[in-house]
Amino acid sequence: MAAAVALLLFGGITALLSLQLPVGSLRGPGSGFFPLALGLTLMALAGAHILQLHYAPSTPATEPEAPRGPAGSTGRVVRFVGVVAIATALLEPLGYPLVSLLLMLALLRGLGIRRWRVSGLIALLTATAAYLLFVRWLNIPLPKGWLGV
Amino acid sequence: MDTLASLQHLLGGFAIATTLQNLFYAFTGAIVGTLVGVLPGLGPIAGIALLIPLTFGLNPTSALILLAGIYYGAMYGGSTTSILMNVPGETASVITCIDGYQMAQQGRAGPALAISAIGSFIGGTIAILGLTFLAPPLAGAALAFGPPEFFSLMVFGFVVLSNVTGTSLIKALMMAVVGLILGTIGLDPVTGNERFTFGSIYLLGGIEFVAVAIGVFGIGEVLVNAAKPAESLEERVRVPRFRELYPSPQDLKRSIGAILRGTGVGFGVGLVPGPAPVIATYSSYMVEKRLSKHPEEFGKGAIEGVAGPETANNSATQSAFIPLFALGIPFGPVTAILLGALLIHGVTPGPLLISEQPQLFWAVVASMYIGNFILLLLNLPFVPLFANILRVPKKVLLPLVMFLCITGMFSVNNSILDIWLMLAFGALGYLMRTWAYEGAPLLLALVLGPKMEVAFRQSLLISRGGLGIFLRRPVSLLLLLATLLFLLIPVLRALFKPLGRGAVSAMARAPRGTRRKGGLP
Repeated sequence: MAAAVALLLFGGITALLSLQLPVGSLRGPGSGFFPLALGLTLMALAGAHILQLHYAPSTPATEPEAPRGPAGSTGRVVRFVGVVAIATALLEPLGYPLVSLLLMLALLRGLGIRRWRVSGLIALLTATAAYLLFVRWLNIPLPKGWLGV
Repeated sequence: MDTLASLQHLLGGFAIATTLQNLFYAFTGAIVGTLVGVLPGLGPIAGIALLIPLTFGLNPTSALILLAGIYYGAMYGGSTTSILMNVPGETASVITCIDGYQMAQQGRAGPALAISAIGSFIGGTIAILGLTFLAPPLAGAALAFGPPEFFSLMVFGFVVLSNVTGTSLIKALMMAVVGLILGTIGLDPVTGNERFTFGSIYLLGGIEFVAVAIGVFGIGEVLVNAAKPAESLEERVRVPRFRELYPSPQDLKRSIGAILRGTGVGFGVGLVPGPAPVIATYSSYMVEKRLSKHPEEFGKGAIEGVAGPETANNSATQSAFIPLFALGIPFGPVTAILLGALLIHGVTPGPLLISEQPQLFWAVVASMYIGNFILLLLNLPFVPLFANILRVPKKVLLPLVMFLCITGMFSVNNSILDIWLMLAFGALGYLMRTWAYEGAPLLLALVLGPKMEVAFRQSLLISRGGLGIFLRRPVSLLLLLATLLFLLIPVLRALFKPLGRGAVSAMARAPRGTRRKGGLP
């Protein structure tokens, strides 16, 4: 239900923002015409889906997709995304080689490789290989940052 | 263009495809594709998107040879994890788990792997023959298409794709509309006005489709796996040795019919909108089970249940190139990514491509024959080698995939903002999986959106505002009627319930929940 409401809102916002653009008419559709039509269509579909969810009894027969969602902990996902977000923010100041090492180390330990020697070695190997491949060989201008390499 | 002319062009294509450089890219595509297929969590969509930046320095022909190789290579590799671990490397191999894993449990993993490689080769090669001889005449016919026909074709594509992906038509349609809306961000393709950019220069060029592809399909899958408890990330596998690979004459005899039927089914499915390889495997499995003299063996290690679907997904992969090349309209998410890659290289697929850039088209077709042969050679003797990758535990694999996604994303535009966008779509991809929303319609709509809007607005300009133009032109009318039919299918299903819940939806939940573990559509 939450997803359907979010989509309804997204459709509504799209339609409203489209009205600020020249919409034109069927004879001469402007920049806002197509997005306005899409916003309204999304609102209609989301509205229909909300009604569907509201009125349909949620028995297993009508909701076959219900058990499809991934089982597990959302907390782990939030931590995982958080680590990657911090790494992305640090990419410019710290530079690619250092961030690759720290990111790999954090993710490996987060997923359960607790022994420093193992996680450290994998992270170091990955960071070195990535540096040689992407920076040295393929010349991708990844941020040099603090280390200057 | 007649058959003889096609053959002549194909020979010319072979001359280009067999240059050392292009052979190298076909080989690389085949290897990377097999890896992408073997690795659960990294499917052909994210795999191709990640490699796009590496093709920037190449000419469009070599780039497409490489990227197409990843697509069909993934179909070969995908069966390995299904058979050995009951975990599909990508969604087109979900069905192979049913009988493939059972065969492995009975100590017959070798024949299962061998027969899927042989079937893949036969199915793939016959479908390329179809591509060779069907794409040029279809492109010729499509030259008569105007904006209304293209618009109706795209509407038809979205509705059919939405109908066959996932379990809810309305959810898939909403995802298609969201993709279309995201596609309107940036400059208006007709007037050049800014839309929804909120003054940001970054958004002027539109939403980077590579960020959406890697985010929703790559990062989303990593996050789903990361959410699982740590113990489930430890799965080990027994890999068969080379001498165990030979199928018995009895195996071959039982498989040949399934392989030929799988080729036909896959080829047909590849021509219509939808995630072709996935649908092809389900359809082929159903056909085999229905035609078999021993339907009771299915689910307990019937070799036909491996041979048919594994052939069908390769056949569908190749025939899905026909609408992409001849009409310029991708009918599934992977071909949509390939279209995006072609546009980056300044090539616009469509009815004119084959006549205007024959070297590109025929060299790519020729490379597919070569690529399939390379894959057969790679997959038969080296299956044990590739399967060894599965010894890398998931808790090492997931950080590696994440790290590759970040590096790959940066290298598209050398932009850190792209990484943020990818992360945002990764989180969205995770939520979509949680709430059972499909990513394929969103991605296809994002890539096709601008084309669709231009076709729509041009049609209205031609008709001076009359929507009737879409109904007055016969091809467009036919496509819209077909669209209506597909929209009505769920309603008809509800009315005729006993017939409605077809085997596809029943099988979409099979096998034993592995669909959730699997890779990408």
